[in-house]
Order: sequence, then structure tokens, then C-alpha cells
Amino acid sequence: MQFILNPAMIGCVSDEPTLTELDDIEALDRMYRSRLLRFVAYSTGDQDLAETIVQDCLLKAYRGRESFRGDCAVYTWLAHIATNLVRDHQRSRKFQFWRNVQKTAPDLSEMSSLLPSGESSPESQMLARESAQLVSVALETLSVKQRTVFLMRFIEEMELQDICQATGMRISTVKTHLHRAVKAVRLKLGGRA
Amino acid sequence: MEDQLDREQTHLTDEQFTGLLLGTSPSTVRAHLQECARCSQEAERVSGAIAGFEQQSRLWAERRAASLPALEVDRRPGFAWLYRPQAWTAAALTVALAVGIGVSIRQDHRLMVHQQVAQVGPAPVVSPATLKADNELLSAIDGELRADASTPASVYGLTAATHGARSKAAKRMSNE
Repeated sequence: MQFILNPAMIGCVSDEPTLTELDDIEALDRMYRSRLLRFVAYSTGDQDLAETIVQDCLLKAYRGRESFRGDCAVYTWLAHIATNLVRDHQRSRKFQFWRNVQKTAPDLSEMSSLLPSGESSPESQMLARESAQLVSVALETLSVKQRTVFLMRFIEEMELQDICQATGMRISTVKTHLHRAVKAVRLKLGGRA
Repeated sequence: MEDQLDREQTHLTDEQFTGLLLGTSPSTVRAHLQECARCSQEAERVSGAIAGFEQQSRLWAERRAASLPALEVDRRPGFAWLYRPQAWTAAALTVALAVGIGVSIRQDHRLMVHQQVAQVGPAPVVSPATLKADNELLSAIDGELRADASTPASVYGLTAATHGARSKAAKRMSNE
């Protein structure tokens, strides 16, 4: 399995000090690990597998840093590597077999108590936590591509153009997957979709 | 137009709702939220749920990432195994083991050859007395064999004639 940079990854200019980040593996790890971990964990639905993929992703990025031209954000580049790694794992027959046997999905329930309470009432806080759980459940019903673009757009807050570059999809395809994903989430939340 | 609200339309379509969440909807769609409580509540509920999920998943990922060991990269260039003491130890042990086995096999081989040589090497020592006794015995046997002139042919009465013919032939040869 070899990561090849997508030649279409052009036109994305970032203000981030990209090259210095990539030269320092500790900084790369510190800055992007948790973000990548969340994206991969919810893409695969398996937190143990996500840790392995994120580690592979960061190492690939570090070792292939000379091929990064700095014409897009580092995270977009990392997300592109992570997406390829997730796809490779999902294609492997071994993964298909073990996925359902050993899957350890991220559990958000333990995080509910850590959420800042704000000024809302306990009832509305509880409702907000339950809604977040429903989003998590709805994500599991989505296809891999729908889940990927939903996470990139609404959780990682990436621009549509960056999602295109990270996934290699056309913008119309990204919008279609987003539309279907939003529809499924709305349905799960009791909407009219 | 998909993004424009029809006069008969009372609520946002799925596409308009998605556009609203993506932030790509036109002003007419946003204006509709001011008038329609149902669409407004749903938009608020869905965006709030997604925001809550984002917050919880971020906390989860930060905690999880903090609990993992820091990523380490072996920065040594190619032939990194040259710098690993374990590799050298393992290689030395392997060589020592191979040499030890070779020496052991070689020694065993030498012992076997030596044993084979020992079996065929020194001849049995015979004393002169034994030799003399053996010679006397052989001479005695030889004498007895010479003294016994009977042959199987003599049993059939052929001994004299044959002996005579042989004698005649001998005489003829001597005369010649």
C-alpha cells in the first residue's frame, strides 16, 4: 500500500506555517492527532483501529513531507492520507471479517457530563446530550462516503473545496452525499425528512 | 429555481434545509425562518444536535489522544539496524552458535576417523615360538600328504597304467 499524492490537490492556499509543522513529528502529533482520531474513529466506528490508522497517517505524512507542496492546509493533506488509509482498511477482507467482531465504537456517554452547562436548564442540557447521541447513532447508518463528507463538513468544519481535495470527489458528488447524510440525521432527530 | 421559495410552498425542502446548514442558502430561505416557527425549530434542533455531537466527540478525542503514548520516529537514516545493539547481539549469538555447532561436528568427525584407523591399524603380534610351532605343524601336515599316494583313480585300478604311461612318456622325453 503506497500513498500517492493526488495531483488535483492544488489551488488551496493556507496561511498556516506548513513546512515547519511537517518537519517536527512531535508538533505534528500534538497538533493533529486528536482531530484525526475523531475523524477516523467516527469514519470507521472503531476507536482501536482509528488509533492505528492515525499513527500510520502521521508517519506517512512525516516521511512523505517532501512531497507536500504547501498549496493546501496541512489538515486537508492529512485528511486525504487518512481517508485513503480508511478506504484501504475497509477494502481488506480481513477488516471486513474482524470489523464486526472486535469493533470498539467511541462511547460519547462518558463525555456528556463534561460538557459545559452554559446558562440552559438541566432539562435542555439533557436534551442536547441525547440529540448528540442520536447524531452519533445516525452516523452509523450512513454509507462510508456520506459519513466521511458529513464529518469533514460539520465536525471538522472543512470547506467544500477542501473536502473535494481530501476525498478526490467532485463538488457535486460531495453535495449529494452531504444532502443524503443531513436527511438521515434529520430523520433520526425526528424531523420531516 | 430550487433555492427560491414558491408562493404555495409552506416549508423548506430538503435541499433548502441542507443548504441552510451548509450556509449556502439564499436570503429568501433565511427570511423564511423568520416567519416559519416549524422550520426554524427544526433548523435549531438539528444544528444544535450537530454542535453538541461536535463538542462531545472533540472532548472524547482529546482525552483519548492524551492517553496514548507520543509518536516516535526513528530518525536514523538507512541501515538503521546497524545502530541497534539488540541486532548486533543477536548476530553475534547466531555466529557463535554456528561456529560452536561446526566445531562440535568437526570433533565428532575426527573421533570417528580415529576409531576407524584404530580398528585396522596395529597387526597382532606373533612370538617366534608360536611361529616355529606353526611351521612345524604345517611341515608335518605336508609330509603326511606326500606319504599318502592313493588317489581316487587308483580305486578303479587305473593308477599303474596311468603311472606307466606317464613313465613311458617321461622316458621318451629323456631319450630325446
